[in-house]
Amino acid sequence: MNTSTWLIRREFWENRAIWVIPAVFGALLILAALFGQVSIPKLTSPAEMHEAAGAFQVIVGAMFYVVMSVYATWYLLDCLYADRRDRSILFWKSLPLSDARTVLIKLLVAMILIPLVYFVAADATALIAAFILSIRAKASLGSALWQADVWWDIQVLWLYCVVVTAIWYLPIAGWLMLVSAWAKRAVMLWSVLPPLVAYIFERVFFGTHVIGHTLARRLMGLPMVAFNGAKHVWTQGSGVVDNDGLPVRVWNLINPSGFFTSAETWIGAAVGIVLIVGAIQLRMRRSEI
Amino acid sequence: MAALIEAKDLTKKYGAHVALDRANLNIEAGRIVGLIGPNGAGKTSALRAILGLTNYEGQLTVLGREPFRDRTALMNDCCFIADVAVLPSWLRVDQAIDFVAGVHPRFRRDRALGFLAKTQITGKRRMRELSKGMKTQVHLALTMAIDAKLLVLDEPTLGLDILARRAFYDALVNDYMDETRTILITTHQVEEVENLLTDIIFIDKGRIVLDTSLEDVATRFSAVAVTADRLDAARAEKPFYERHILGKMVLYFENADAGKLAAFGELHTPSVSDLFVAKLSGGAA
Repeated sequence: MNTSTWLIRREFWENRAIWVIPAVFGALLILAALFGQVSIPKLTSPAEMHEAAGAFQVIVGAMFYVVMSVYATWYLLDCLYADRRDRSILFWKSLPLSDARTVLIKLLVAMILIPLVYFVAADATALIAAFILSIRAKASLGSALWQADVWWDIQVLWLYCVVVTAIWYLPIAGWLMLVSAWAKRAVMLWSVLPPLVAYIFERVFFGTHVIGHTLARRLMGLPMVAFNGAKHVWTQGSGVVDNDGLPVRVWNLINPSGFFTSAETWIGAAVGIVLIVGAIQLRMRRSEI
Repeated sequence: MAALIEAKDLTKKYGAHVALDRANLNIEAGRIVGLIGPNGAGKTSALRAILGLTNYEGQLTVLGREPFRDRTALMNDCCFIADVAVLPSWLRVDQAIDFVAGVHPRFRRDRALGFLAKTQITGKRRMRELSKGMKTQVHLALTMAIDAKLLVLDEPTLGLDILARRAFYDALVNDYMDETRTILITTHQVEEVENLLTDIIFIDKGRIVLDTSLEDVATRFSAVAVTADRLDAARAEKPFYERHILGKMVLYFENADAGKLAAFGELHTPSVSDLFVAKLSGGAA
């Protein structure tokens, strides 16, 4: 195994929460499927069954995505701070490991590997929960939750989400890592305070909202850039059909060409790269608190 | 032979505070060098610079490399223990060995395991479960299994009891040191290391006050216990420090004529700790 593989293993040794949290969360959802109240209207048409299967998997996936976002944020804030706090950074720095590699591996873990762990956990949870629900509500549900094409769609959707999330939130990740490499204490506070102060400053002295709008757009704008008018499609009357009355497939939902050609995507990514370079530079200079 | 560590006008500032003030250093291979100074003298800053942990002004080469720019490559040939408490609490002993074996080309697993086999420590223990003395043993096992040319120790025994401290230095001298290695060690507990050092460097207020081998100390420095009636005559030889002990004055001389001094009283070579006090206290007796 090479150095990078060892650095990745080290992250999983240190942060067992990477897999413990999704495992526990999945177990809770499965318990809910086992003992919770199930009231599902009888599904008759294929379109309704399609909708039920799709909605079920999307809801499970979305819940995992939310938990993942919270955890990945915490991970990024902590990853260059924890070993400075307990001084173990001096042990890591006594080994021939470059700071650039260390920082980039942590970024890779946060933006790609943690989401993939949650993806697998969400998949496993959805399968087990669907199995349980199908048995418990046999009369009304039947085989509704078992739609191969829906399952494949969800896989594509998840992988697409992992990729666009990693690129879109790169500036946020870069900022969190910069704070993590810089702060002497209270990383959480330092991550929020400067943008907040900048926002208030701009509002009071210039009466404009450029910073606020930019930040809000970055935090909440991903669905608008990476997906086709999702709202329009999902509120159709009977079942999940698109404007032409065809069942919605993932291909109609995602908008990779829009996302990857958007200037917003790449300006954000460039800002992210600058912040990450900053975090590496700080990592080289700050070894202790 | 070329110097292993060479510093010229090494300066490190933290804002207005000057931690290292144009320090010059020259450390050769095969030596055990003690970098000795009071708290805040710049010991740690000097080590940080040598290990590439911090940026600096002036010239510095360690094993032919510029430490700050080349830290990753430098760490192939150099290892350090900066206080024993720094092994991460979540790390298991077997993980630590696997990891270092994985990333360090000069790590020899059999040596680390051999060292640990002599202790009570088992592989599944986490660092947080180990006592300070045990952590030291793990850290030493990891470090001594690396074929490094330079070993840097920064207050390595801080917080250890006397047994663990003794064990640490015994292992260092008996199991680790040979003519191919160089050890640079900082401490403010001079008595503890003075028997194993070959060279001493005194540092005070960011400046190098003394840089000499212990062989040279004997020829260069002398201390004389002078009785009161000969005090004035002895003072005429310009001692750089005077100390009052048990009714006698002990006068410290540098580069003085031993034959002349012997006439004033009992002549001896000062110990490193006495010399340290004498040098750093200056003329203020």
